[in-house]
Amino acid sequence: MDAAEAVRIAMRSIRSHRLRSTLTIVGLVIGIASVIVFATFGASVKAEVVNDIEGSSANNVYVFATPDDDEGFDRVLQPVFTEHDVAALESLPGVRHVIPRGTVDANSLTYGNDTIARQRVTATTPTTFGEETLVAGRGFRSGTNEVVLNERAARSFGENVTVGDRLTLSLAGNRSRELIVVGIVNGTEGQLPVSDFAEQARVYVPVDPFYRTVVESPSVGVRQRAYPQLTVVTDPTTTEATKAVVATYLREDSDARRLLPEETSLAARTSGDFVAQVASVIERITRFVTGVAVIGLVVGAIGIANIMLVSVTERTREIGVMKAVGARNRDVLVLFLVEAGLLGAIGAVLALPVGVAVGYAATRYAEVTFTLAPMWMVMAVVVGVVVGVLAGLYPAWRAARVDPIDALRYE
Amino acid sequence: MSTADAGRDGDAAPVVELTGVTKTYDLGGVVEALSGVSLALTEGSYTAVMGPSGSGKSTLLNLIGALDTPTEGRVVVDGHDVGAAAETERAALRGTEIGFVFQTFNLLSRLTAVENVALPLVFEGVPRAERTAQARELLADVGLGDRTDHRPNQLSGGQRQRVAIARALVADPALVLADEPTGNVDTETGSRVLDLFDDLHARGNTLLLVTHERHVAERAERIVHVRDGELVRIEPLGGRDD
Repeated sequence: MDAAEAVRIAMRSIRSHRLRSTLTIVGLVIGIASVIVFATFGASVKAEVVNDIEGSSANNVYVFATPDDDEGFDRVLQPVFTEHDVAALESLPGVRHVIPRGTVDANSLTYGNDTIARQRVTATTPTTFGEETLVAGRGFRSGTNEVVLNERAARSFGENVTVGDRLTLSLAGNRSRELIVVGIVNGTEGQLPVSDFAEQARVYVPVDPFYRTVVESPSVGVRQRAYPQLTVVTDPTTTEATKAVVATYLREDSDARRLLPEETSLAARTSGDFVAQVASVIERITRFVTGVAVIGLVVGAIGIANIMLVSVTERTREIGVMKAVGARNRDVLVLFLVEAGLLGAIGAVLALPVGVAVGYAATRYAEVTFTLAPMWMVMAVVVGVVVGVLAGLYPAWRAARVDPIDALRYE
Repeated sequence: MSTADAGRDGDAAPVVELTGVTKTYDLGGVVEALSGVSLALTEGSYTAVMGPSGSGKSTLLNLIGALDTPTEGRVVVDGHDVGAAAETERAALRGTEIGFVFQTFNLLSRLTAVENVALPLVFEGVPRAERTAQARELLADVGLGDRTDHRPNQLSGGQRQRVAIARALVADPALVLADEPTGNVDTETGSRVLDLFDDLHARGNTLLLVTHERHVAERAERIVHVRDGELVRIEPLGGRDD
């Protein structure tokens, strides 16, 4: 029996039970489509996040202390990097400059009559501001009471804050400082790439005079400012090599190495490292959720097996007739397998547009850019056919073993 | 009692030869459906098998039709030993050397008349165009040239049986087996079906027809009487009026 004829006969059988076949296929479509939806959504989120991170400067090496046992994302912890470390890092080959970054504990920030409590204030240096991220004004200068806001922070007061406005920063110990807004930005260099997509309101002040976290530098023996995070801006052509040099310095000579608490270690990461980290986490989540969707696929497969078993019983006499006119067991087996495989294939082909459409809707809803996951789509279709054939194996085997004498007597 | 039969014409080769065939079924106790039957069907012969129900005539038909294998003895169809053949070989034998005509027609309801007729050729691997052409020709021969694309449920009982007969002939078999072919049609239609068998006989086909109706059996050249699993008598019918 040729394949075309097997397909033709199987198609005829599928079409003769329209409702039943439709319901079986719907079950499978749901299974395959959900796999595609989750895979597509996962791929879209991953692409979006990776894009975000890659958009941030590729020539930055981010330096911070992170707990050893933390899987997945890095966490920035202790202020261990002293001014001595900053100066030492700046003198390393391939390093253009180093941007320290710390947090100032502010009780509140006031603009006009509007006060925001516990406003997070970032202390950093003027090199953090680049031309391309400035929306209005300029960066602050060191040793002044100038302040720079990101756009979200500028919008977070009753009235929008603009360049030239004055803010009141209330610090610990009832001290307060008058600040002059000199710039609005939509991002800064030296911010950890992973925090880019948590688009928080950020207020930037100069380290001098606002940042007051100090430790005694083990190497020079004087009290110095210490930062939890440094960003080493490198020559873009030697980023990887410079990262190695930075890591060596941190490991062997830095103050940070001696100030480091137990069970933490120093990390030097490029945005590429973050991309790999984030991508691997998203991939793991996607795989898990998609795995859950595979359960739907299994249910669809059971539907096929069920309907094929019913079909074998119903068509016992037909099988007898086919055997009487010369069908071998193998022919009968193939006919039923083809029918099950066809159900799977039809389900898979229908599931493709459904899955892609729902996946697209999900990305729109989550406001991420839509990205196709072609590997998963091919796999979903292949799996659909394979699932159909597998589900049809036992019923087809039963059909092949039907005794023609009994079958011809069967009512 | 065991009856030997050398066939009517000594010079023609037997298409079917049963030698001391016994068939038992184990249904709790051992049931002997056929015991020591020997029978030969020569090429071009027309034989009717008569007997009450339970006499073993269905078992005989199943053995000759290569649907079943004997417990003892030999069944040889067109040179093939049915008892020694594997299931796959017997399937091929059924497809190429034997044409079945059933009481209830046994057409596949989803296939058109021409597709039903062509079905045995599907399993033989004959290309579609070729088998369709052959099937159309045969349908024309049985007077259904204008019904080729009808489904069985669009055909009358007599028409369905003619489709079934065309299907039995499509592989050009050595033997046509008919099991009560007039059992499900009215007398008038039945008589036309039997006319068709006469035509087949006249054209040299070897026919074996199982029936319990005397007037149907009388169309054959001889009647084999079966009772309680034994072949009790072979009744030659002299002058045939065709």
